[in-house]
Amino acid sequence: MIEFERVSRRFGDQDALRNLNLAIEQGEMAFLTGHSGAGKSTLLRLLLLLDRPSSGDIRVNGEPTSKIRSRMVPRYRRRFGVVFQDHRLLFDRSVHDNVALPLVMAGFSPTDTARRVRAALDKVGLLSHEQANPAVLSGGEQQRVGIARAVVARPEFLIADEPTGNLDPQLSSEIMSLFEAFNQVGVTVLVATHDLPLISRLRHRIITLQEGRLAGATAQ
Amino acid sequence: MVWLVVAISLALPGAMLLTLDNLRPLVPELERPAQVSVMLAGVLDLEQAEALQRELATWESVEDVTLVRRDEALAVFGEQTGLSGLLMSLDRNPLPHALLVSPSAPRTDAALSQLVEAIDALSGVDRVIVDNQWMSRLNQALLATERWGIALGAAMVLGAILALANTLHLAIDARREEILVVRVIGGSPGFIRRPFLYTGLYFGAGGGLFAGVMLWVLSLWIAGPVNTLFFLYGSPGQIQGPGVGYPMALIALGAGLGLLTSWAASTRYFSRL
Repeated sequence: MIEFERVSRRFGDQDALRNLNLAIEQGEMAFLTGHSGAGKSTLLRLLLLLDRPSSGDIRVNGEPTSKIRSRMVPRYRRRFGVVFQDHRLLFDRSVHDNVALPLVMAGFSPTDTARRVRAALDKVGLLSHEQANPAVLSGGEQQRVGIARAVVARPEFLIADEPTGNLDPQLSSEIMSLFEAFNQVGVTVLVATHDLPLISRLRHRIITLQEGRLAGATAQ
Repeated sequence: MVWLVVAISLALPGAMLLTLDNLRPLVPELERPAQVSVMLAGVLDLEQAEALQRELATWESVEDVTLVRRDEALAVFGEQTGLSGLLMSLDRNPLPHALLVSPSAPRTDAALSQLVEAIDALSGVDRVIVDNQWMSRLNQALLATERWGIALGAAMVLGAILALANTLHLAIDARREEILVVRVIGGSPGFIRRPFLYTGLYFGAGGGLFAGVMLWVLSLWIAGPVNTLFFLYGSPGQIQGPGVGYPMALIALGAGLGLLTSWAASTRYFSRL
């Protein structure tokens, strides 16, 4: 469970987030939407402790993140799988090595790593491309590799920032289905997007930010 | 390329240290008791000279006195200069008797000049020659060279650090994207830093190894002339090569510099991300 308690983030005299209260339940899937500059990215950065709130606190499973010391931040971040808009794959290594990165970081054994990487690639339908360089894959495939990397270490939370921003509607829909599949096995999923036509067809909560405030949330 | 820069920066101070190491054993040999040569007046005969020798030997400031008889001196002079034939043709020996006086310890400059004055005041003494000035000059020259070497060495090592820092900065910058991704997905600073520490170690230790090889080649190259020089000076000494210790020390120094520099460069880079 993720809770934002009166969280504000101020840059100079600009408020990126103002007094935000928000709770995402364990096992929930929610969309975060709003115009550019509405505070979506700031919210995700605060959640990943890439930035700290000016005031207020964020609790994850009841634990206030303000109490997490910088030494423990990497361990905290490993509880999240993160999908980026531009997938952020590393083109100097194979698909397998890209997906394996979080496992290598966490110190898994090579055999364990290989097994988990193949399982993750299988889930996103790219097992046959394991040894390929990600640069030769299509945009949609690259994003699926990014998702495999995000879920390979079985995180509690899956965070995606505009994961379909560069994809056509058909591919976007496939990507969203993947997120739903992971949500169905218990992963809490938060997807920032402004693809309103797509998400309005899906039956999940939509959290709308407007000028750093909660504009409205639809519960389904 | 980086290896070469690091190697040259480390090899030069290394060569300087090796040179000093080679010179140092020669200095004690040169520092044997300063001797005072006492030229006696030409009119003194052997008995009078021996009387002077006995008197000087009783002095507290004198450790030992050797008498060099004028015919001995002539023979040695003739032998050393190859002029014995010419000297034989002289109808009389132009050399006086001489005394070689070894002052007793401590051989300070003040004690020595006091002794020289006292000997000079004796009757029958023509001239007192102190052969120690060139030695203190040599000592000072060696000292100055040593300091100059240390300063130059420090500058070269600083150059090696800068070359390493620049390379590491480029290496880190080339992987900026990877660093950003790994940071977000929970890589610890140690995990992110590790490959760059290896890079620093690789270039530093590699440079040190190259520097060791350079030192070997250099010492082999100059060994011939230097050993001949030793021989010509009648010294049994041989040039002392870098052995195993020097390359090892250079590799260790290079590795240490590489690790420290990569640690500093990565810390600086990460703090600005």
